[in-house]
Amino acid sequence: MTNSIKAKIVLFYMAVLFSVLSAFGVLLYFSLVKIIYNAIDSDLMSRSKALATLVQDNDDESEFNFSDDVMWEYHSQKSKSFFQIRLSDGAILEKSESVGTLELPYTPQKVPVTFQPLLFKGEKTRMINFRISREKDGPEKNHILIIQCAEDISDSLRLLKSYRIILSVAGLIIMLISSSGGFLIARKGLQPVKDISRAISRISESNLSERIVMTHIPAELKSLAIAFNHTFDSLEKSFNRQKQFVSDVSHELRTPLAVILSQSEITLRKQRSAAEYQEVLAGIFEASQLMSHMVQKLLTLARLGADKVELRFEPVDLNEVISDALRILKPLALQRAIAIELPDIRPGACMVSGDRAALLEVFMNLIDNAIKYNVTSGKIAIAFRREQGAVTTDITDTGVGIPENDLDRVCDRFYRVDKSRSKKIDGIGLGLSICDDIVKLHGGSISIRSQLGKGSTVSVRLAAAQHVENSDLNEKGQDHGNTSVQRISGGRSGGRT
Amino acid sequence: MRILIVEDEKRLADILHKGLEEEGYAVDVAYNGEDGLFMAQNEPSDLIVLDIMLPIVDGMIILTTIRKSGVKTPVLLLTARDSVMDKVSGLDSGADDYLTKPFLFEELLARIRALLRRNSEIRTSTIEIADLVLAMDTHEVRRQGSLIPLSAREYALLEFLALHKNKVQSRTELTEHLYDYHFDLDSNVIDVFINRLRNKIDSDFEQKLIVTVRGAGYMLKD
Repeated sequence: MTNSIKAKIVLFYMAVLFSVLSAFGVLLYFSLVKIIYNAIDSDLMSRSKALATLVQDNDDESEFNFSDDVMWEYHSQKSKSFFQIRLSDGAILEKSESVGTLELPYTPQKVPVTFQPLLFKGEKTRMINFRISREKDGPEKNHILIIQCAEDISDSLRLLKSYRIILSVAGLIIMLISSSGGFLIARKGLQPVKDISRAISRISESNLSERIVMTHIPAELKSLAIAFNHTFDSLEKSFNRQKQFVSDVSHELRTPLAVILSQSEITLRKQRSAAEYQEVLAGIFEASQLMSHMVQKLLTLARLGADKVELRFEPVDLNEVISDALRILKPLALQRAIAIELPDIRPGACMVSGDRAALLEVFMNLIDNAIKYNVTSGKIAIAFRREQGAVTTDITDTGVGIPENDLDRVCDRFYRVDKSRSKKIDGIGLGLSICDDIVKLHGGSISIRSQLGKGSTVSVRLAAAQHVENSDLNEKGQDHGNTSVQRISGGRSGGRT
Repeated sequence: MRILIVEDEKRLADILHKGLEEEGYAVDVAYNGEDGLFMAQNEPSDLIVLDIMLPIVDGMIILTTIRKSGVKTPVLLLTARDSVMDKVSGLDSGADDYLTKPFLFEELLARIRALLRRNSEIRTSTIEIADLVLAMDTHEVRRQGSLIPLSAREYALLEFLALHKNKVQSRTELTEHLYDYHFDLDSNVIDVFINRLRNKIDSDFEQKLIVTVRGAGYMLKD
C-alpha cells in the first residue's frame, strides 16, 4: 500500500483537500462569528443610543420615567435583555427589571464605548458600556452617565456551535465522498498503465508478434509503450532467429540422418554382396562426415554465441594470417585453376589486434568461399586498406556473385543463396555466419558488395594494433609451418610467399 | 505399381530407388523439381514421393501444378520440414500423406501400401480372390493355404491385377505401371510374366484365375 502510486495519489489528494476544506471551514465559521457579533454589537449600540436619547430628554435627575413601550423588552425577569444606568462613579441610577437584584459589573474607563463579554445569570452575555453627558447642566461629574446594555447571547453561541458541527460533519462527508472520488480518479488515471501491463503480460513466447496497441494510450505513456514495443521487436527478432536456427539445424541434420537410416535399413533387409556393403558404408561414412562437420561448426557457433570463446588478443600480422590460409587452401585453388593475388607488402604493415587462430579461421572461410563460388580459372584479389586506426581486407572474387536481396542475409546461419541446397558446391551455410561472429567479437565488421555474375568483394574491417612497428621484426624466419600456435607477445615475421 | 521419387539428395533418392525396386515396385527418380514436374505430369505413376525443398522447381509448386492439371496420383511428401504448419499446408495443397525425415523405410513402405490401396476396393493388406490370398505387407502368396514363391516382378504383376480384380488391364497399362520409363513399352515382357504366373498359380488348380481378354488384356477374376 505504501508503495502504491494509487495510494500516494489518493493520500496527496486527501491532504490537499483537507487543508483547503479546513481553511474554508475556518473562514466560514469566523466570518459568521464576526457577523453575529457585529449584529449583537450594533443592536446593543442602537439600544443604548435609544436609552441615551431618553435619558437626555429627561429633566429629572433621578427618576427616569421610561414609557412601557420602550421598556417592555426589559420588563420580564426572564428577558434576555438588560440595561443599567450608572453615574461615572459607579452609582446605579436605574436598572431594568430583567436585571433583578443583581447588577451588571462595571469597570471605569475613559473611552466612550466599550464592549465586554461576561457571564451573567450563568449565561454568556455581551454588554456595552456607553458613556454620555447630559448637556443641560454644567460639566459636573455627576452629569456623566454610563448606559450599560447587555444581551444574553447564549442562543447565538449555540447557533454557532451547531454551525461548527454542521461544518465539520459536512467537511467530513465531503472528504469521504471525494476520497472515493480520488480513488476513482487515481484508478482511472492509472488504467492505461494497467492496460499496458496487461498487454505486456499477454505477449508471451507463442505470440511475440503482438504489440501494445497505441490508440488508447495517453501521450504521457506513449514513450513507455513505444519503448516496450521496441524491446519486443528486438526480442521477437532474436527469438525468431533462434527458432529459425534450431529448425535449420534440425533440417540440415535430418537429411544426412535420413540417408544413413535408409541406407542401413534397406541394405540390412537382405543379404548383399561385399561390393554393395562397401558402397553403402561409403555412403554412410560420407553422410556421417557431413553431420560431424556440421555439428562441429554448430558447436563453434554456439560457443561464439554464448561468448564462451576466449580470444587472446595480440598484435597479428594479417598478411601472415592470409598467407597461412592460402597455403592450406592452395590445393583447392589449384584444382579449380584459380589465381590468387596477394599484394607484396612489408611484414608488419597490416598489424591488427586479434586472436590469431580465430582470424585464421575467418580468412580460411572467406577465401574458401571465394574459391568455391568462383568460376573455373577465376581470380581472387586480396587487398589491404589502412584507415583511421583500422585495417580493412578486401577479398574480391570473379565468382557467381550474390543477388542483392540476399546480401544482408548471407551471414545468417544456414543461409545459402541457392535455397535448394544445390549439392554442386558442398557447404552447409555456416561459414560466413561464423566469420561474422568472430569478427564482431573482435569489434570489427564484415561487409559484402556484389554484382551478380561478376563477383563479390568481402571486406573485413579490424582494429589496427597499436605500437607494433618496433616489435614485429625480431623473429624473422621462425615458426613458419605452425599456423595454430598462438604467441603471447610480439608479431611474427611475414615474408612467406 | 510404379512410384516416382522426386528427391534432390542423390544418395537418399538412390537408396530409396533400390529399396523400393527390391520390394517389386517400378521406380522413376527425378533429382530436381523441373524433371520431377515433367515426369509427374507425363509418366503414369501410381504414387509420387515428393521432397519439398528442390532445386529449380519447389516441391509445393510441383504439387499444386499437378493437382491443378488434374493429376490424381497419390502424393506422399517426404521432407525434413516438420512443423505443423508445413504439414498442414502440404496436405492442404493436395498431398495425401506426409512423412518427415529421418524415417524408417518400413514406415515408408506401409504408408506407400496404404496410399496404393486407397484407389482400390481393398482396404486391408490382404487380398482374397477365390482361394488365392495375397499378403501385401509380406508379399506372401498362398493358394488353398500352400505358399507359392514368386519373384518381385511376378508378385508386382499379380498384386496390380489383384488390386484391380475383375477389371481388364491392357498390356500397355500393365507395362506402364510395372516398369519405369527406361523400359521399352513395345516389349511383350508382360506376356512372358503372365505365362510364368499362370504356371505358378493356375496350372495346378481347377479354377483358372488369370483370364486373357482377347484384344484387351488380362484380368484376375474370382
